[in-house]
Amino acid sequence: MSKQYLTAHTVDEAHPAEIFSLAPTPTTLLSASGSSALRVHSTTDATFPLQQTIPDAHKLGCHHVCTARGGLGAVAASVGFGGEIKVWACDANEWRLQWELPPSKTDGGDVWAVALSADEGYLACTTSDGRIHVWDINGREKIQTYETGARGGGSFAMAVDLSRDGRLTASGHESGGVYVFNNDAGRMVYSLSGLAKPVRTVAFSPGCKRLAAAGNAGVIAIYDMEHGEHVGNLTTPSSRPAWITSLDWNDTGEYLLSGSLDGKVKVWDVARGVCVATHSETDTALWSVRWLPKTERALGPGMGKSEMFCAAGASRSLAFYREATGS
Amino acid sequence: MFSFSGAQQHGSMNMTQTSDAPARHHPSLSPEIGSRAVQIPLGTQTPAISQIEALLESIVDAVCTGNELVIPYQSIRSPNHGANSQPRHGESRPLDVVKFPGRTVQEAKRFEALFRIIEMSHEALLSGNLITKRNIYYQNPDLFRSQSVVDDMVDNLAFTLGVGREDLSIVAAAKGLISGPIDLILRDGSTHSCDIAGDTGSLLPSISSIQKINFRATRWVLVIEKEATFRTLAASQYSTTSRAGHGILITAKGFPDLTTRRFLSVLSTLRPELELFVLVDFDPHGVAIMRTYRYGSRRLDHEENATAPKLRWLGIISDDIFNEAAHVQGTSDIGHSQASQGTASQVSVADSFDGSQSERPTKRARTNKLQRRGPSESILPLTRHDRRKAVEVMKEVSGAESMSDDGAEQMRELQRMLMLNIKAEIQAVDNYGDISEWLDGKLSKHVV
Repeated sequence: MSKQYLTAHTVDEAHPAEIFSLAPTPTTLLSASGSSALRVHSTTDATFPLQQTIPDAHKLGCHHVCTARGGLGAVAASVGFGGEIKVWACDANEWRLQWELPPSKTDGGDVWAVALSADEGYLACTTSDGRIHVWDINGREKIQTYETGARGGGSFAMAVDLSRDGRLTASGHESGGVYVFNNDAGRMVYSLSGLAKPVRTVAFSPGCKRLAAAGNAGVIAIYDMEHGEHVGNLTTPSSRPAWITSLDWNDTGEYLLSGSLDGKVKVWDVARGVCVATHSETDTALWSVRWLPKTERALGPGMGKSEMFCAAGASRSLAFYREATGS
Repeated sequence: MFSFSGAQQHGSMNMTQTSDAPARHHPSLSPEIGSRAVQIPLGTQTPAISQIEALLESIVDAVCTGNELVIPYQSIRSPNHGANSQPRHGESRPLDVVKFPGRTVQEAKRFEALFRIIEMSHEALLSGNLITKRNIYYQNPDLFRSQSVVDDMVDNLAFTLGVGREDLSIVAAAKGLISGPIDLILRDGSTHSCDIAGDTGSLLPSISSIQKINFRATRWVLVIEKEATFRTLAASQYSTTSRAGHGILITAKGFPDLTTRRFLSVLSTLRPELELFVLVDFDPHGVAIMRTYRYGSRRLDHEENATAPKLRWLGIISDDIFNEAAHVQGTSDIGHSQASQGTASQVSVADSFDGSQSERPTKRARTNKLQRRGPSESILPLTRHDRRKAVEVMKEVSGAESMSDDGAEQMRELQRMLMLNIKAEIQAVDNYGDISEWLDGKLSKHVV
């Protein structure tokens, strides 16, 4: 059985350069691109109008923007190509810069991926020398550094995620390594194998029982977080699967969304281990795919209560999809 | 930040004062006109010799009067020479000097080294010969200690006097290679044909030693970062067998030297209708090399006529690498895409050289595309140094006053490199060592 998703709306030329990252809040979608501005589009209106442009956020462009999964949507963090981290706070529908971490303050390796805890109090960022730093946003201090190699000699950490219960941190590396850390104990609990090629995205399930990881192998590996076991792979038969750049769990934890460099966005039924929907409206790279959180949004015409997701990348547009009702 | 806007124009005015104007104003590819050589004007007597003589005189005077000996000397890398400092060669800032006897032994040695360079430059200027930086070093290795000391001093001296390195009759040892159906007629009367059979490239002479260039029927110039790729193409006579017509191959074996950049600049000034291309690796250094050919380098910003803004970035860029991946992907994925709704567009690959390729009588074997090396085998992850370099180049691109389309393209490619964390050498797009097929497709798009 497959699921039906329809193109709900496409915001063309949402950015003047490629869109590298998406971050949803209950009512908006933040997007970051190769240009210096961040953009905020409303997701409560069927035309997804532009709500705010944050000019000059990152001079050399921005490669990661994140919000807390399952959070209120009052805090966002972004990382620029210049290596600076900016933390943004939303007040009365307006995002403002709250805190900036210049590259010099993140000692050693250059900062790459970033994630926020569900309570929006902590920020985890990875570095090119394989470390994961955890910052207390309110206290503005670094509270933890996880090493994944001999001091500063770890493999480039390309992806990071924090579990919604705040207990675990996961990182994905250029070497193909996936590591899970216990935040209470402050140490590594699992070193997970299975993907020999660079890992570009890691994501905890909403219930924190599973971790999904994917990258150049073109396969999504699913790990159990109680025992640290590799419990399965999601894959379609293909001799050369495209590199997967982005993963996201839906709110119920039943479905995984994946985006890849060949422009395909796929929805996977995790329990059955199959792909239930594929969209390939573009043949240019997708850099980010995100479900929009289910909320009691003010329902405009055509919005419905169905689950929605957004895909973006080299086409510079935001493509919104919604589940077809009545199936 | 770059000097090409004003200085270049001024330079090109000089360049066009040739006696052989018709060949230039009526560009034609017919053999009789094409064979007419284009003359390179002898630079008007530069102020360098008078400046150097004045300098020497002042030193002699100082010796006679018993005063301290002083040579003005401005370092290009002095802190107040920022990237955006408009005033050239120290009009608005105090000149540094090198004194003799000076306060320390080092300063005395520095004076001696600098004095030797000035003296050799003077001799070369008087005799009309050129002297290489390497030659200067070997005149007195003990004094100079290393080649880089000479290199820096020569450039700083030129910068201080407000002239180019060649105005001092000093050049770098020939590094660039050229191959193709053109003749360089040197000022000493000899003719230097660059397409001698069996030759895989000849050393590029300094532009000031060239009197005329006979372009014959050349229509394009391809600058190649890698010497190995250049040699392969030169050996296979690509410059005459290309589907894009006759052309010239040039390499500076990596980072471009001034001689090669000058040569390219002169080519584009003498023959504006020539299409100029550059082929570099897909990595931050490749982009930096391409940018140096096009806009010049910050260190040698005072050198004029050393840029080629028309130079087109032929590759390799991310699409070159991933189109090939997409092709393989597309053919293997048909029939497997599950439950694809809407317009399941097939991955389309623009392989422009795929179509009309059979009429070409050539020894090149057709290799099945699917057997071609995929990207995963010819690409490497970026090192930390590469990533830093990429950010550095991005800062330069975004620092240029207005972000042109070219700038946007460079930003996009650098950002993609960082996002993907990969680099790829020119070999990533070749067909078991044969890049000519790929080049044909690319060049034919632009050379009409």
